[in-house]
Amino acid sequence: MRLFQRKEKTKEPAGEEALGLFLFDEVNDALAAERVLKASAYQVTLVAPPPHLRAGCDLAVALPRVEQVGAQRLLADSGVHVRDWVDDAEETSSICDLVSTVDFGSWLMVRAGNMKIVVDKETGEIVNTSGGGCPDIPYLNLHYVGRRLSDVNRPKEVGFTLCGLMLDRAYLEARALLNGKASR
Amino acid sequence: MSLLVVATYPVEGGAVLEGQVSLGMDGSPAVDGAPIPASQGTSALLAAACRTTSHLGGPLPRALVAGDIGRGDGTRAVYKQLAETASAVKPAVVVFHYMQPIMALLRQAVGELAEVCPDALLVADAGGMYAAKAAGLARRFELMTPDVGEIGFLADPKVTHPAYVSHYLFGCPGFDPVALARQAYESGGSSRVLLIKGAVDYIAEEGTVAAIVDEPSVPALEAIGGTGDTITGLASAFLAAGFDCVDAAICASRANREAGLAMQATPAMRAGDLVARLPEVLEKNLERWRDHSRNSDN
Repeated sequence: MRLFQRKEKTKEPAGEEALGLFLFDEVNDALAAERVLKASAYQVTLVAPPPHLRAGCDLAVALPRVEQVGAQRLLADSGVHVRDWVDDAEETSSICDLVSTVDFGSWLMVRAGNMKIVVDKETGEIVNTSGGGCPDIPYLNLHYVGRRLSDVNRPKEVGFTLCGLMLDRAYLEARALLNGKASR
Repeated sequence: MSLLVVATYPVEGGAVLEGQVSLGMDGSPAVDGAPIPASQGTSALLAAACRTTSHLGGPLPRALVAGDIGRGDGTRAVYKQLAETASAVKPAVVVFHYMQPIMALLRQAVGELAEVCPDALLVADAGGMYAAKAAGLARRFELMTPDVGEIGFLADPKVTHPAYVSHYLFGCPGFDPVALARQAYESGGSSRVLLIKGAVDYIAEEGTVAAIVDEPSVPALEAIGGTGDTITGLASAFLAAGFDCVDAAICASRANREAGLAMQATPAMRAGDLVARLPEVLEKNLERWRDHSRNSDN
């Protein structure tokens, strides 16, 4: 039996609240950590680590320092590998949140940052994905093209990188626009 | 004058493949006889480069690729073999394409290439471009081919991946590729020549726009996965054939658009549809484009 796994939902961390960062070797570890922590009602944010802590395609999880101990235990219990914790979240960057669309008549293209997804407005079929530069993007292209938005898992559950995360944002927007509702 | 493409292909655990690129009956590329899946990304680049070198009559491209679905294993395997391959091939042009953007590995690779093929021109797109810029190596590259969603990343010295760009975003008021090209070059985030791919293609040399290509206009190309990769493949093949880099970028942009027009592109088509049109487009236009190119007297 796990103790202290679930906590009461807290308020969004205030701007002046001291944040720290969980650092990871792989982007998918960060995505798994976000999923596990949010499922236990931690208020966390995915961010870019400060420049001096980056190695390339990096993603970190920010949360209030005071919650580190319980959160780290939860991640260990859940099998999520954490490379390190740092007590300083200054100089982090947020993930691009700009989403735009282009209407091609029968098709809708949604762009999130450097990623695009194109869907058939009538059937919900994904007819193209494009952009990005990480190796999971061609893999996601093969995985998604020809399938309906409603029949596939989210890109953040299939992909492994920041580009996959941006495709996830485009995917969610496409679903919201075509279904008139937000993400699953 | 050979072209070497360094990249990954989307097969989990796929073997390291090194050798000549060829096209199958369906237009899908194979490396050293081993087919790789047709999708957006490096397969589109290889197919376009193959068609272009075939037209030009030069040696077919070579590739060093490995399977990678985003965990970085294939990327690491490719970097491990790069120096040996480059030493044997002595490429005129080396292209870094879809790879995990690991700064330390690219830094090491660029150093190794300087030893084994010091005259090779470096080209970067996709993850290779992300790593080159993030590692502060962009100025070592002859050509980068960002799209409008990526030029802001090159222009912002503080970010290490396009996902973190918060300024200079495509779609925001004031987005200006011309200004961003200059800013990217001045801040060290750009190669010597940039080909910025979008509804209008901008070719910038040392931060200054040298050419703009906006005809024919084929809006659906932006929606088709891999049609930016085909431009990079075209430009790299022209560069390896001895074209001036700006001319290579202009001809690549024109050829891609003409092929898009010829295929009557819709957002539901594939990059392979465009590649299939390249032979007729190049046959019909390339000589004329070169006669009118910037360096036609050289």
